[in-house]
Amino acid sequence: MTTQSVSEELLRLKNVRKYFGLPGAPWRQAQAVKAVDGVNFVVRKGETVGLVGESGSGKSTLARVATRLLDPTQGSVEIGGVDVTNVRGRKLRPVRRKIQMVFQDPQASLNPRQSVGTILSTPFRAQGIRPTRAQLVELLQQVGLSEEHLERYPHEFSGGQRQRIGIARALSVKPDLLVCDEPVSALDVSVQAQVLNLLADLRDELGLSYVLVAHDLAVVRQVTSRLAVMYLGTIVEEGPADQVYSAPAHPYTKALLSAVPVPEPGVERDRIVLTGDVPTPIAPPSGCPFRTRCYKVQDVCATVRPVLEPVHGSTEHRAACYFPEPPPPERTR
Amino acid sequence: MPDLLWFVIRRLFGAALVMLALSFAVYLVFYAIPADPAHLACGKPCTPDRLEQARHFMQLDQSAIQQYLSFLKGIFAGRTFGDGAAAVHCNAPCFGYSFPLARPVTTLILDRLPITASIAIGAAILWLLFGVSLGVVAALNRGRLLDRLSVGVALVGVSTPSFLLGLLAILVFGFWLNMVPVNGYVPLTESPVDWAWHLITPWLVLAVLQAAAYIRLTRAQMLEELNLDYITTARAKGAGETRVVVTHGLRGVLVPIITLFGLDLGFLLGGAILTEKVFSMQGLGDLLISAVAQLDVAVVVGVTLFSAFLIILANLVVDIVHGVLDPRVSHG
Amino acid sequence: MAEPVLEVHDLHVTFTTEGGLVPAVDGIDFSVAPGETLAIVGESGSGKSVSSAAVMGLLPSNAATTGEVLLDGRELIGLPNDELRKIRGNDIALVFQDALSALNPYYSVGWQVAEAYRLHHDVSKKVAHRRAVEMLDKVGIPDAARRVDSYPHEFSGGMRQRVVIAMALVNDPRVLIADEPTTALDVTVQAQIIRLLDDVQEEFGTALVLISHDLGVVAEVADDVLVMYAGRAAERGTVRDLFYRAAHPYSLGLLGAMPRVDVPPKPRLTTIPGTPPSPGSIRTGCPFQPRCAYTHLVGERCITERPELTPRPGEGDHEAACHLGRRPEALL
Repeated sequence: MTTQSVSEELLRLKNVRKYFGLPGAPWRQAQAVKAVDGVNFVVRKGETVGLVGESGSGKSTLARVATRLLDPTQGSVEIGGVDVTNVRGRKLRPVRRKIQMVFQDPQASLNPRQSVGTILSTPFRAQGIRPTRAQLVELLQQVGLSEEHLERYPHEFSGGQRQRIGIARALSVKPDLLVCDEPVSALDVSVQAQVLNLLADLRDELGLSYVLVAHDLAVVRQVTSRLAVMYLGTIVEEGPADQVYSAPAHPYTKALLSAVPVPEPGVERDRIVLTGDVPTPIAPPSGCPFRTRCYKVQDVCATVRPVLEPVHGSTEHRAACYFPEPPPPERTR
Repeated sequence: MPDLLWFVIRRLFGAALVMLALSFAVYLVFYAIPADPAHLACGKPCTPDRLEQARHFMQLDQSAIQQYLSFLKGIFAGRTFGDGAAAVHCNAPCFGYSFPLARPVTTLILDRLPITASIAIGAAILWLLFGVSLGVVAALNRGRLLDRLSVGVALVGVSTPSFLLGLLAILVFGFWLNMVPVNGYVPLTESPVDWAWHLITPWLVLAVLQAAAYIRLTRAQMLEELNLDYITTARAKGAGETRVVVTHGLRGVLVPIITLFGLDLGFLLGGAILTEKVFSMQGLGDLLISAVAQLDVAVVVGVTLFSAFLIILANLVVDIVHGVLDPRVSHG
Repeated sequence: MAEPVLEVHDLHVTFTTEGGLVPAVDGIDFSVAPGETLAIVGESGSGKSVSSAAVMGLLPSNAATTGEVLLDGRELIGLPNDELRKIRGNDIALVFQDALSALNPYYSVGWQVAEAYRLHHDVSKKVAHRRAVEMLDKVGIPDAARRVDSYPHEFSGGMRQRVVIAMALVNDPRVLIADEPTTALDVTVQAQIIRLLDDVQEEFGTALVLISHDLGVVAEVADDVLVMYAGRAAERGTVRDLFYRAAHPYSLGLLGAMPRVDVPPKPRLTTIPGTPPSPGSIRTGCPFQPRCAYTHLVGERCITERPELTPRPGEGDHEAACHLGRRPEALL
């Protein structure tokens, strides 16, 4: 516990909001998609944080705000202890050295007209460095590719290999933090496992920290130490991954986890099947955003939005709910 | 619907701005030309005195800016050139007055428009039918003889100059075969049959030229469309091939086609210059060409603005039709 | 076990491409009985989706299908298109992975469901419309009578998939082929759709062929499983055979590669080295051999001789196509 609190802060998002405006007639009230609606989020050195949620939860938007690809509507972004909310253009380059992004679709995020060598040297050049061939080869080797791949073009690779190239590109500037947006969701199961193992290896070898944005809770469990669950633009629960997975406190987390199919035929599980869809982020429900689909909803839930508060007697495990699930009996302290 | 209204209002406002900028640009260009329209109007012998008189009468002695402002004012309030018995009136909306033709530009345009519109609309309907159906046939027979034939026709159409095809058509159908009249225009109100009879050759010529783009676009779009998942869905539901192509495939093809069609038609309504020349039809294109030759600034500005307005209008109509054809398009 | 409604024997699908003949499906057998669920599992390029399209006769013209596809004992391969059309969407219906692209964006959901009904029933538009509302209601679309006129883009992902399911079920098909029906959906919505498919099957006794790469979903809904690799069957058995007694190294690899949400993670996932081969690239021996960790225990035979599905002794209908002949995991 104490080591965590002194460990260096890589990323801090303070009360971040990101609204996307919708055009409309002047006689109608201006509308906004509240993609991220008041999020506090910290990543420390050595952590692997999973950011999970369903489509429309705002997880990808949050990742883009954190990497300064999007400007927050409100709130601040601190990277390496420095407030970079208003840093733009060229001045962002030193920031980008510290934090890099890996995208979901390696096909779309690699320029098909550039060789792997050119793709990998682009981040160096952006920093004003001319990389040596040895440096590029080392990068390729780090992600399990080899020198012979340097002159090839993206279409000559399989999906898994392309994702490795995407990771190598992100690693080229030796970042402290890698933000991966759905890094394996486009890959086959057997290939997905290879990439997940690679991410784990890089964490161990390079001391890299990750934010892993994903909708697949099983994938996230495999590699993360901490978990944050998003719903309609807010974090509804966060805490050490093993605690959240084994004893979710927020009803949404509990329902989400119970919905993931488990490869054990014949084993009956109590599944909470949520009704309906995620409400529109244009007009989220008052009070608790989850109350319209919650199986524990009470009148109070419609009043004020609940804030993240410690649950299960742990200081790090927090949930934003008026009626959190009780801790499992064997875990009560 | 209020969304659509707001959309139209916004677009019309934008159009007005574009027209304003355009008219200014056209004025500037004509004042950069080192020639004097008054020279042509002053008659012979052109004494400096008479030249000055003509200049004053045509209001060319004012500064360029002043003339431009008078032009703008004339649109709303009308204009009067000279005074007394010799005064020439140009009623609002006045888009200028042509001294060589001694008519207000608005009247000239409205006189010539039916001819150009007859050519353009008839040809447009032909090339749309012709282009889309050949394009569909080509797509359905991809790689086979019919496909190659259609693409070949398209290639010939794209690469043939319109005057060449027009002259060839006059030569073959007009003189050799003596099937159609070689020139002239009969108003629709006079005799619909003669009207169509005189227009059939220019229609066909323009249609062949323009259909090329439509064949290619329809073919490409249909091929893409036939690969879409919802086409497979239609087949999986048990729909027959005709239904798959016509009901499910064609709708998506029409969206880009309508865009192209609207713009082409808008462009052509502003004057089919070469075609009108070849077939000796006095449409807007003919008006514009003669005006340029006579340094008739008022007519050039008027026709240019009118053409620009048609294209902007066509764009607007295309966007509205787009919204009708594709429920995903919102005019918010 | 009940009489199978759909039986597939020795199905081969070969595509003629510029690069030569590509065998996408290379001899597979499966069958499914009313009320039962067969899952076909495999990665990209395994031929699982091609197999389902072949059953429906929906493959492009460059695909050659041989073998037997029997619906209630009636051979479907070689049937004229008119006959096949009566079966598609009526006796065998298809549910696609991506409901957004499977639905035609230009028509309302009600129109599309009604169309599926009218293609196989001689009824008025009004009756078909009523039937569409009834089906949309049955698949759990709230306020179906009002939403029937909405367009696909106005629905959420889960609701769209319900529409596709309603469209597939509107004619009470005997067989429903669902190709990755929940892959594009969020887990909470996936749970809803799985439950819906389950309810539907119970109510109508539909035979379900589920094509999926998600072993979790398969474990949950399947009775029998066919594991495909490179166009061939690697393993076939009950769902318990696969998950508790996997006999093929590939199946075992897939199970090991799958991260789990319900138990604390292993330090590393078991992986299968390399990537799935492109169809047709492996012509002799076992297609999995280049990636297999057990091939050294067998030797040459894996490279020279193609393994056929052979029953596992004492395990009923459980079959695997592997020369190893023993349970692999005990050997490492």
